[in-house]
Amino acid sequence: MLMLMCVCVRLQLFYSFFKSLVGKDVVVELKNDLSICGTLHSVDQYLNIKLTDISVTDPEKYPHMLSVKNCFIRGSVVRYVQLPADEVDTQLLQDAARKEAMQQKQ
Amino acid sequence: MFRFQSLDEDCTLEEEDDGLIEEEDEIDQFNDDTFGAGAIDDDWQEEHKRLAGLDKKDELTAGDDESADPRSPLDNRLSLPPLGFSSSSALQSGDVEDKVSEGGLAESLARLILEADPAVAGVGAAERPAVPSPGSTSVFPSLHGLLSQSTSVQQQQQRLSSAPPPAPMLSYQQQQHLLRRGTAPIGQMNSHSIWENSLGFGPVSVPPGLVTHMEDSPLMSIIKEVGLPKRPPRSDEGPDLSERVPPPRSSSPVIGSPPVRAVPIGTPPKQPMSHTLNHQIHHPTAVHVRAPVQHRFPAPFPERLSPNTLLNIANSPLCRSPFPPRVGPVLSQIQRAQLLNSQVAGFPRGAPGLLPGGGGFRPFFGGHPPPHAHRMVPPPPLGPPNHTPIRHNTTILHPQHRRLLSQRLLSRGGDQSRPGLDRRSRDPYSNLMTPKEKDWVTKIQMMQLQSTDPYLDDYYYQNYYEKMEKRQEGERDSSSRKEHTTKLITPQVAKVEHTYRPVQFAGSLGKLTVSSVNNPRKMIDAVVTSRTDDEEKREKQVWNKRRQILYTVEKMYSLLLEVQDFEKRFLQVPEEERQTLLEQHKANTEQLCSALREKEWDNRVSDEQCVMIMSVRKGKRLVSRLLPFLSTPLANAVVMAIARNFPTLAKKDKQDQVLFWLVEPVSSVIQSLSSSLLTDLLQELQGSEGQLSSVLHNKFGVTLLYLILSEGERMQSSDPNCQLMDDNRWTELVFSVTRELLSVPASSLAPPLFTPPNLLSLFSRYVDRQRLELLQDKLQISALSR
Repeated sequence: MLMLMCVCVRLQLFYSFFKSLVGKDVVVELKNDLSICGTLHSVDQYLNIKLTDISVTDPEKYPHMLSVKNCFIRGSVVRYVQLPADEVDTQLLQDAARKEAMQQKQ
Repeated sequence: MFRFQSLDEDCTLEEEDDGLIEEEDEIDQFNDDTFGAGAIDDDWQEEHKRLAGLDKKDELTAGDDESADPRSPLDNRLSLPPLGFSSSSALQSGDVEDKVSEGGLAESLARLILEADPAVAGVGAAERPAVPSPGSTSVFPSLHGLLSQSTSVQQQQQRLSSAPPPAPMLSYQQQQHLLRRGTAPIGQMNSHSIWENSLGFGPVSVPPGLVTHMEDSPLMSIIKEVGLPKRPPRSDEGPDLSERVPPPRSSSPVIGSPPVRAVPIGTPPKQPMSHTLNHQIHHPTAVHVRAPVQHRFPAPFPERLSPNTLLNIANSPLCRSPFPPRVGPVLSQIQRAQLLNSQVAGFPRGAPGLLPGGGGFRPFFGGHPPPHAHRMVPPPPLGPPNHTPIRHNTTILHPQHRRLLSQRLLSRGGDQSRPGLDRRSRDPYSNLMTPKEKDWVTKIQMMQLQSTDPYLDDYYYQNYYEKMEKRQEGERDSSSRKEHTTKLITPQVAKVEHTYRPVQFAGSLGKLTVSSVNNPRKMIDAVVTSRTDDEEKREKQVWNKRRQILYTVEKMYSLLLEVQDFEKRFLQVPEEERQTLLEQHKANTEQLCSALREKEWDNRVSDEQCVMIMSVRKGKRLVSRLLPFLSTPLANAVVMAIARNFPTLAKKDKQDQVLFWLVEPVSSVIQSLSSSLLTDLLQELQGSEGQLSSVLHNKFGVTLLYLILSEGERMQSSDPNCQLMDDNRWTELVFSVTRELLSVPASSLAPPLFTPPNLLSLFSRYVDRQRLELLQDKLQISALSR
């Protein structure tokens, strides 16, 4: 159990950040070059993402995704997450990062 | 006319086998036992010759014309009634099967045979087409040979092929093929093929060795029906469940490890397992198992049913239960499964009128997680039947956030819940985990989210929604909802510090590697060395200036954040610690101020330092946030510095254009300025020649100027005794300002961020009408904004 705790007690920053984006529309680009646009349904401490109402943004060269409406994406395969800019408070994010850095030092 | 022999008698064969028996006698004995009294005693070789020769003429006829007496038993035997083959004439179907049905022996035989001989596998396939008896007739003598001798196939081959005219060797597949087709030119079969042939017929398929151990009769009926239904006599192995559950956790050594709870949280829950499940898992057999559904119902209700069984049950007519699932004591298996499902995620198993919903991963339709900020796991589903609250959503949302989401969903989700309902009707993957298991997994995950200080650990989220609330409150009228300052309350658990100390014994060399899950071994023996400030300063000088500035800014930022949070923490912290907190706060502030000064002993704010800080974008932000926290003289000094060094600042800000961040804090500072200071400020702003023009070119500069002027005006108009007019400086300054304003071409005049309303009145004091109008046009100050 200790090992589990080590993983994520300290890295709550992005989890906290993504939590605030739940319900917004994002585009997730994966490491296999697949881009998925959808509404962020939930996120967990591993930054696994659940999206609802998804559509593949690029021209549908991924036809196997046509019928998929909801998906669960493992956090480790995400390359980028494109966010709406107005939903992000950059100052707050900077502050959160500073706090996290301070915590890490201690 | 069969001498049917019991198994007991069969055993006598074995006994006889032990001794040294002459081959001939053995043959006879075997023959009698196997084929009964009607067996022929002639020389099979002769017979075979005869038959083979006959067969050569006559390929496909039925064996009737051939049937001589010696052959009739053969025919009987090999004419393949559907259940066909008996090695002895004795064997007509019925009794054999009875024998066979006696349990374990038959099964083990079947398995043995099936595994041992590929030809047997073909038995089922090469079913029961009637094989022509000519083929059959020739088999008989070879049968003898096979049964009597444990010779290899090759020997047989030699023997047989010597007797009949040499037959081309057909491959096994061809033989089988022929068999199936029913056209088997026997003469062409070598012993190899005969072996296979006989397999096709059945009894001969017995490997010679087996004959000694068992009776042919059970064998044959096994073979004839390859698929034996496995009865649930396996049920005695039902409660062998322990393999599913991992062994209980080994307790870690006491030395140096955190105290281990009796049942560590990581232990999966023990659960009763369905014996049928076990059955399927642990006894895979090559033989097809038809698990009879009927047998399951009497069993006590297992908490977990595999999807297959559930589907079977669901498909059965029992599914249409007249009782609603909520009727407690009358619950049958299915209903309980349904209830389970519905508890999980709602699951209509084909029966209408049950709780709607779907299993497994469900989209966020039709409902938001129930509002339970004070509980870890949401409660079982409530609310309107069309909503499917998601049990697995362990995120605790800020009330504000939840409100937003629900609003969004209500607008979107209404039309979507309908089609979703149909989609959810069959989820074969539901109910794979018991609720206990789910809770266990949830508990583990939630362990990581417990925190002593949610405000710190979840900084971004908390603050974001607080800000949003404030914003919304500002938009709405403040009269309403003042009591609704919603706060997110997360469960707070005291954090147990698990510091790992490696196991050490006194006097031993090195460290032991005794590790368990609760104290994993240390991978790297790294020692953290923190450098002191002096060293850092020295090292800083090596860096270039910009980095230095950035470093300073960051340091100040951390102090600033602490200062900002001071108030919140002060309220939270208990009484005793408040003093220390206060002191810490003071120290922080002090440090911040000293950072602004160049030299430690100098009380004045260093201009250079300020400018340096503000040359960086981050620094400007810092200063804007810092200003409210500074003491008044310091703040004033800073503002002065800004005004004084305005051109430099403006130049440095060309790329970023973020000086406007400073507007708000500066304006608040200005408004608290005294008149003399204000005048000073204005003077500073004007500064040397040409400064004012640069000021006017800059948006922020214009804004600043306006701010100052409007403040002066406010002072004048509000307080007739104000000292602004005491010395002429103010007037002169305003004059020069107006002069400048008029002279500057309108295009180069930067529009301010906002125009204070009382500028016009200010100007009206000092300038004549004509100029006033000019000014008005230029600056676009409308008369209404008075």
